Amino acid sequence: MNPEHIDLPQGTLDLLILRTLSLGPQHGWAISERVQQVSSDVLRIQQGSLYPALHRLERRGWIKAKWGISDNNRRAKYYELTRIGKKQLEAEAENWRKLAAAVAQVLESV
Amino acid sequence: MWNDLSFRLRSLFRRKTVETELNDELLFHLEHEVEKYKKSGLSDAEARRRARLSFGGHEQVKEDCREAHGASFVENTLQDLRYAIRQLKGNPTFTIVIALTLALSIGANSAIFSVIHGVLLKTLPYSEPDRLVRIFLSNSSYPKFPLNPFDFRDFRTSNKSFDSMAAFTRGDVQLSGSGEPVRLNAFSVTSGYFHVLGLHPQLGREFDEKAEIPGNGLQIVLSDRLWRTRFNADPEIVGRKITFNAQPYTVVGVMPPGTEHPGNEYQPIAYGEDVDAWWPFSFEGDPSQRGSHYIEGIARLRKNVSLEQARAEMNALMTQLGREHPGDQGWQVLVIPLDSEIVGSSRRLLLVLLGAVGMVLLIACANAANLLLARASTRQREIAVRLALGAPRSRIVRQLLTESLLISFLGGSLGLALALVGIKLLVALLPAGFPRAHDIHVSAPVFLFTLLVSVAAGVLFGLAPALQASRTDPNKGLHQGGRSTTGSGHQSRLRNGLVVSEVGLACVLLIGAGLMLRSLLNIMHLDPGFRQQHLLTARLSLPHVRYPKDEDIARFGDLLIAGINSLPGVQSAGLGSDLPWTGYDDNLGGFTIEGKQPPPHQMFHARYHMATADYFRALGTPLLRGRFFTGGDKKDAPGVLIINHAMAERYWPGEDVVGKRMSFEDNPKDKDWMTVVGVVADVKDQPDSPGAEPAFWWSALQHPSSADLSLAIRADSDPELLVDAVRKQVAQLDPALAVANVQLMDRIVNGSVATPRFAFILVGLFGGLAILLAAIGTYGVISYSVTRRTPEFGLRMALGAQRWDVLRLVLIQAAKLVLSGTAIGLVLALVLARVLKNLIYDVSPADPLTFTAIGFSVIAIAIFACYLPARKATASDPMLALRAE
Repeated sequence: MNPEHIDLPQGTLDLLILRTLSLGPQHGWAISERVQQVSSDVLRIQQGSLYPALHRLERRGWIKAKWGISDNNRRAKYYELTRIGKKQLEAEAENWRKLAAAVAQVLESV
Repeated sequence: MWNDLSFRLRSLFRRKTVETELNDELLFHLEHEVEKYKKSGLSDAEARRRARLSFGGHEQVKEDCREAHGASFVENTLQDLRYAIRQLKGNPTFTIVIALTLALSIGANSAIFSVIHGVLLKTLPYSEPDRLVRIFLSNSSYPKFPLNPFDFRDFRTSNKSFDSMAAFTRGDVQLSGSGEPVRLNAFSVTSGYFHVLGLHPQLGREFDEKAEIPGNGLQIVLSDRLWRTRFNADPEIVGRKITFNAQPYTVVGVMPPGTEHPGNEYQPIAYGEDVDAWWPFSFEGDPSQRGSHYIEGIARLRKNVSLEQARAEMNALMTQLGREHPGDQGWQVLVIPLDSEIVGSSRRLLLVLLGAVGMVLLIACANAANLLLARASTRQREIAVRLALGAPRSRIVRQLLTESLLISFLGGSLGLALALVGIKLLVALLPAGFPRAHDIHVSAPVFLFTLLVSVAAGVLFGLAPALQASRTDPNKGLHQGGRSTTGSGHQSRLRNGLVVSEVGLACVLLIGAGLMLRSLLNIMHLDPGFRQQHLLTARLSLPHVRYPKDEDIARFGDLLIAGINSLPGVQSAGLGSDLPWTGYDDNLGGFTIEGKQPPPHQMFHARYHMATADYFRALGTPLLRGRFFTGGDKKDAPGVLIINHAMAERYWPGEDVVGKRMSFEDNPKDKDWMTVVGVVADVKDQPDSPGAEPAFWWSALQHPSSADLSLAIRADSDPELLVDAVRKQVAQLDPALAVANVQLMDRIVNGSVATPRFAFILVGLFGGLAILLAAIGTYGVISYSVTRRTPEFGLRMALGAQRWDVLRLVLIQAAKLVLSGTAIGLVLALVLARVLKNLIYDVSPADPLTFTAIGFSVIAIAIFACYLPARKATASDPMLALRAE
């Protein structure tokens, strides 16, 4: 659709979810909106793939879920970062930075 | 970790809630997305379309989420299980046939395993039983011989290999006092006997070494059962005096319940809780005389001392003793682990039985596999549809394996129920004196074994058919439909192979049963050396205090026999030191035979017994030469002996032995010589012993060697009618005397074939089951192939073939299978029957008669099983068959 959109590299969806949740508890739709906003609409999450990822992270104990009431007074499932999740985020972010820097270096040196 | 597990479990067990939540969550997302599009000015319908588009496949997302929950393995299994139950319910005959055959064979396996677990696997009830050993002597004539007491005492003081060592010998005691006098199973034991076993009295203590000094022996340790039944569990019993053998014994201790006897050779009582009392062994006599052997050694190995080291040390000690005492020359010391001593010969029998039930299970599995294969071909269409719809082959294999496991679990549970009943029957059928029979129960390990066997069986018979079915070509399967599909060449090879192995295994089992039957018949038709009909036996023990002199015993014997002879219905009656087949093996070494020299370092040995004039007549033991004892063979008359045929053959081969002389003195004077006056037929120790041991008898009037008397009474008719009269006769002579072991000889004879009969009944039962299963299997394969070939037969008949031609065609196909199965079975049996060598009597493991007879029977039964479907083939209607094509 939008030619500006690029697909997410494998495995980065988890990182984006964790990062988004580090700002505070959110429900699934808000997470997907937020990622698109912050990435200036460049990154596009296939909305369907968001939920299996959320459930997987919940199973691992990196995030936990609570049912709450949304802005428009509807019951919604809110996810928030756990302590393990925070540590995981730091580790993954660090890895990502290293990877990005390394790839950038290679690209520039040639 | 915990989080992960609880999450998976929640999604498994609260599936409904989890599903609703998932639905709500996804709907919430969609609504928001729709809102968003509506706000940007789209119509409701368009907004919804866009939202769905950007979300992706709703169901797919849900499935992915479920996958992420990590419970899909279990969910799939549950789904497979539900499907399998539907399948099996839809085909009840099939399910019942397989489950029943499996139940029979798994049940048999569980029952045999529970015996093996109780007898072979469970540890003995002593502390660290693997360090316990039994000690015997051995030489070329006597491979397993008891110890001399003074040799034992030297072993005990000098050895460095053992923590502790003790000895024991059977010595029953008579308890009189309140109530009828009873004879108790008792043992005379050295100090430290219980310490060696690691057992401790619940009251009091065990004997110390002081009790072994002659004159100090009036002490007794009671069993828990005797203490409770005879003495009302009196807590003050230690120190009390009780009358045994008409003498006051002081109770020094009471053993706890579950004190088990470690087994013995001489006058055996079964291993177990059969002993009532123990009294001290006393070292009487001259310590320099080492000729008499009658106590059995038991010892506990020191930690880190091996059996070989202990053996080497004991043999060095024995060599040393041999230098000091001539009577100790030429002996080896046997050190045998207690475990193998107790279980001994039963181990092989049990392992053979386990092998036999294992084969039955294999046959049942082959049968089940065959039925599954046949059914898989009728299910080809269903499987083809599933494959065409994209199910991976692994999923099909899993589904089919779930079905076979379900059947095998069904069979396993039924089998366990059968085993519960079977074990009771099995224990009832066990020969008397079978080691550790009371340790046989259905226990947790038996359940576990049944579970494992069921799983193994399910996989074994399910895997090949499942793999086969998953290879179905969806294209072909769909086109041809289920019915007339011909199995692939590979499949029929597999089915034929299964039938061939079934027939082969059944053949092996039946040959085993046949060999055991022949052995049983041999033992039953053996000439025992006496006549067991109308023969009553009993045992008496005269207390030394009241019968101190030989004359007292002789007088008692005379009066008793005279009294019994006066009873109506008595043909003849006699007394002896023992009876045939009771395992009595008192030995005497070192007698002198006139004009003969023993080989260097060896002595003349023979079993010694005592008999009255009519003892042999009452037993029905034939006199081969000379005469029986008479009333004239008295104390002051010249010494006489009766010997058995084996002794005559060993020491006077080819000579006329009547009139020959021997003596029990080293340098006999003329009055010390005893003359052989008669030779009697051989009686073996046990009915299946390889041969009789050399033996001789003293005249009871000249040498009443023992106060233990065995009574033999031959009656005109049913000897059971005499029992009360005989008891009355004994009570008239001495009211304090117990009449023990009142038995009919034909019952003893019956009991002596119990082990071979037990082995034959079980192996025969398994063999019968095996041939039945193999016949079902053969029938199944042939009838399947006949159904498949009906059009072909129809065509042949249309072209002029006769019924006989078609019948022959089918029978040739069947004969090929049956003959190859039988051939394989015969060869296999030839190899395997060798393990039966020690279990069968007087039959070669390669007995041609058994092999031929069983071979032909198997062929006949299997061909008959094929004949039924073959006849169906001849009924093919040519027209019908052609039309169907």
